[in-house]
Amino acid sequence: MTSVLLFFLAILLAPFYSAIILKVKAFFGGKKGPPLLINYYTLVKLLKKGSVYSTSTTAIFKLGPMVSLCAALTVLMFLPIAGQPPIFTFQGDIIFLLYLLGVGRFFTIAAAMDTASPFEGMGAAREAYFPIICEATLFMVLILFYVVTGELSLAAYFSAGQPAGFWQAAGAPLLFVVLALFIVLLTENSRVPVDDPATHLELTMIHEVMVLDHSGPDLAFIELGSFLKLFFYATMVTRLVCPVTLGHPAADLVVFLATMGVVYVAVGVIESVMARYRMDKVPQFVLTSFALAFFATVISLEFLK
Amino acid sequence: MLAMNNFFLAVFIILGSGVLPLFFLWRRFALMKTIASLGISAGCLIGLIDAIGPLSNGVDLTASAPYLRAFALTFRMDGLSSFFLIAIFFIALLAALYSLHYMADSRKTVRVAVHYLFFSLLVASMALVVTAANMITFMLCWELMSLSSFFLVVYNYENEGNRKAGYLYFIFSQVGAMFILAAFGIIYSHAASFGFDGIAALPETAKILVFALAFIGFGSKAGVFPFHVWLPHAHPAAPSHISAIMSGVMIKCGIYGIVRIYALLGWHAPMFGYIVLVAGMVSGILGVVYALGQHDIKRLLAYHSVENIGIILIGIGLGMIGVSAGNPVMALLGFGGGLLHVLNHSIFKSLLFMGAGMVLHKTGTRTIDVLGGLIKKMRITGATFMIGSLAICGLPPFNGFVSEFLIYIGGFRGTALSQTEFALSLLAIVSLAVIGGLALACFTKVVGIVFQGEPRSAAAEAVDEKELSMIAPMVTLAGACLVIGVFPGVFAGMALRAAESLQLGYGRVPLAPFMQLTGNITRGVLLAFTVFVLILVLRAFLYRGKSVTASGTWGCGFSQPTVRMQYTGSSYAGSIIAFFGPLAPLEENHPPIAGRFPAKTHYQSHVHDIAERHMQRVIVSPVMAAFDKLRWLQHGDIHLYIGYILLAIVVLLFFV
Repeated sequence: MTSVLLFFLAILLAPFYSAIILKVKAFFGGKKGPPLLINYYTLVKLLKKGSVYSTSTTAIFKLGPMVSLCAALTVLMFLPIAGQPPIFTFQGDIIFLLYLLGVGRFFTIAAAMDTASPFEGMGAAREAYFPIICEATLFMVLILFYVVTGELSLAAYFSAGQPAGFWQAAGAPLLFVVLALFIVLLTENSRVPVDDPATHLELTMIHEVMVLDHSGPDLAFIELGSFLKLFFYATMVTRLVCPVTLGHPAADLVVFLATMGVVYVAVGVIESVMARYRMDKVPQFVLTSFALAFFATVISLEFLK
Repeated sequence: MLAMNNFFLAVFIILGSGVLPLFFLWRRFALMKTIASLGISAGCLIGLIDAIGPLSNGVDLTASAPYLRAFALTFRMDGLSSFFLIAIFFIALLAALYSLHYMADSRKTVRVAVHYLFFSLLVASMALVVTAANMITFMLCWELMSLSSFFLVVYNYENEGNRKAGYLYFIFSQVGAMFILAAFGIIYSHAASFGFDGIAALPETAKILVFALAFIGFGSKAGVFPFHVWLPHAHPAAPSHISAIMSGVMIKCGIYGIVRIYALLGWHAPMFGYIVLVAGMVSGILGVVYALGQHDIKRLLAYHSVENIGIILIGIGLGMIGVSAGNPVMALLGFGGGLLHVLNHSIFKSLLFMGAGMVLHKTGTRTIDVLGGLIKKMRITGATFMIGSLAICGLPPFNGFVSEFLIYIGGFRGTALSQTEFALSLLAIVSLAVIGGLALACFTKVVGIVFQGEPRSAAAEAVDEKELSMIAPMVTLAGACLVIGVFPGVFAGMALRAAESLQLGYGRVPLAPFMQLTGNITRGVLLAFTVFVLILVLRAFLYRGKSVTASGTWGCGFSQPTVRMQYTGSSYAGSIIAFFGPLAPLEENHPPIAGRFPAKTHYQSHVHDIAERHMQRVIVSPVMAAFDKLRWLQHGDIHLYIGYILLAIVVLLFFV
């Protein structure tokens, strides 16, 4: 029951957290910024509207938003939120979930290619490229987690006090893992310095340009899906950064939500103080995450035994 | 020959249907095609039903007949053979149906008739290869398979490129066969019999040599890097249903050979696992990188065969490491996943080749960058091709995911081992992840450029799909992808039963723990389906009574867009190819735009295969130079040739 409640709480809170990033950026820019509830207003506005479809598109264009939202929602059902056990879990679920997110990516790209727009093709090519390195990083981190816990599921990694166990087993190298996961978070969710969600030139976008032709509820699905995906990655980072459990579910939840806020603020700060990398420098940046995860895994498994 | 009656009945029906067109039927084109393709299909169906037996009850069947009084032709059907037979007969069945409408040129009646002869020979010889139970039988069937497929590759022999491709394939298959023959020679010199049974008694040094030679020989058939050079040339040259057979099942006979020789050697040295695993990782990653750089859709699919052979070898390599490290679960996951991937790849790769064949049939071109928007008029081809693409990327809910999942779990088991095993398992997992990501990039490119967007040429506009015999196999294969992807239990069980007959010393394998893993996939997929249906309902509700209008694609302010502005496959893959620069050198030909009124320019790109390049430099050129010096031996004088034969016999008399 708690797991189901937390699942819906996550869906409810994800848009709010994403708004924190906007607020932080506005603060750095010396502006008042949009209200913290801006994403809810946007979603409601989009859901009320109808849609315009390009004459070039087919049914795949409509499948894109649905599949990516479906993937994000399913992933969330397997995610332990605030240390509570998730709704579903099974051995190997993390592999299934990463590939399910892959299905979402396949259809997002396919929907973009459906429009025959050169700009969307450009964005799609980048969307297909950068996450390859992220997957390598994630699997490298999984190897570390697997050897420490002997399990292959999100529930075993992020429930209750387990993240603290990683610190005990791996020690300081786990800092590398946190950093690597944070880079993956930035890449997978199209944040600065990989992608700039606020840019106004289609040529320089990745994710935003791929959804140019979507409108109305379709666009709302995409937006919600990306809020949830960011929430998923932020939860993993949060649980590693702050693995403490106070013993009481409500107290744990408060600590978790507060730490989540810190992670989102960190994303906002990075977005405010950094510029987006040149496109050909991005792979090097993302590769850093792989190198970090690789070192952390090899050091803690081979040398600290 | 009592025990394998049904199997031989199937083989004879297949051969008979292939021979029949040559005698009198070739004058009646449509009748000939119908009889040949339906006959071959019927034979395959009988074989398919028969092959399920040994897998389910675990009883081996044997048949033997003396040949020329010198040796026996022996066949045995165990779990491993049956597993490969299922893939061979299933794909051949559908390919035969597909050929009914694909071979449409009624001016080439004789050629089509001959094609059916070699087609039936190829199917029959593949079935015999995987059941052959002594070395002579094996080599005979193996050569029959190589030769019949050679004649199918040069089906369109008017085209010089196709003749070259056939020649290249011929050399590779014969050199490969020489390596296998060398391995068998070493076995014979120790065991002094042609049987497979004496192999286990070989000394260990001989075993290493046998395995290395056999791995090169079988690897060149399977398309393991760097022996894959023939593959991207031969597959595009052959008619599409032949490409489906060759890429889907024929190259798997190489995998069969590797697995079989490993089982027969009965020596579980860690070195074997290391070799196979490393070869798998290299083939897997480089195969998909080269695939990304291709402009020809069938060539691209051919490189994906190299990639998938890599994935299969990763699974098998992990299995071998599991055996040598005394980890039965890892061993079974590796072998089971690898073998299941054999079946899975045969299904989705033939589906993709048939889809590519449909595109070629309708548009007359294989060039990706001149196509586009095909899915609007070829809905079923487009949809099934997309399912095949999702499956080959290893994405749920399709079959590719299941086998990769098993291999992943096997790899994770391996990370708990120490040192070399740990390092290799770690690399295997990361390679699988990278291969998956690259395959996704490659197939979003194919689907996106060929089937989506707007047509880039007139050829891509005037298309349709009416040929039932071509559509039905594609739909069947797409259905198989989904069924195995959602309910993998039975099929994983089949792969594990096949792994049982490798004599790993585990006896009858308990399936329950593995069924739990596959059951998890079913549950996860069904959960995702449920969520998807809910979203579908929600979407329908949200769009109720809303205004939905159609308009042009947003051109970012540009008011005169043309279809030529669309992103091309070359540019889509460009940045990833650049990342792998040293391994996949890109050659570009692009005169710069100059002057105030620039003239027309063009752009050409070609990704070089380093194996092809270096093989030319290191092997082909020196060999050619050496043979050039021996040219005087070949003078055209028949008397001297007879003298050579005489001399050879005399020399042999001294040694034997």
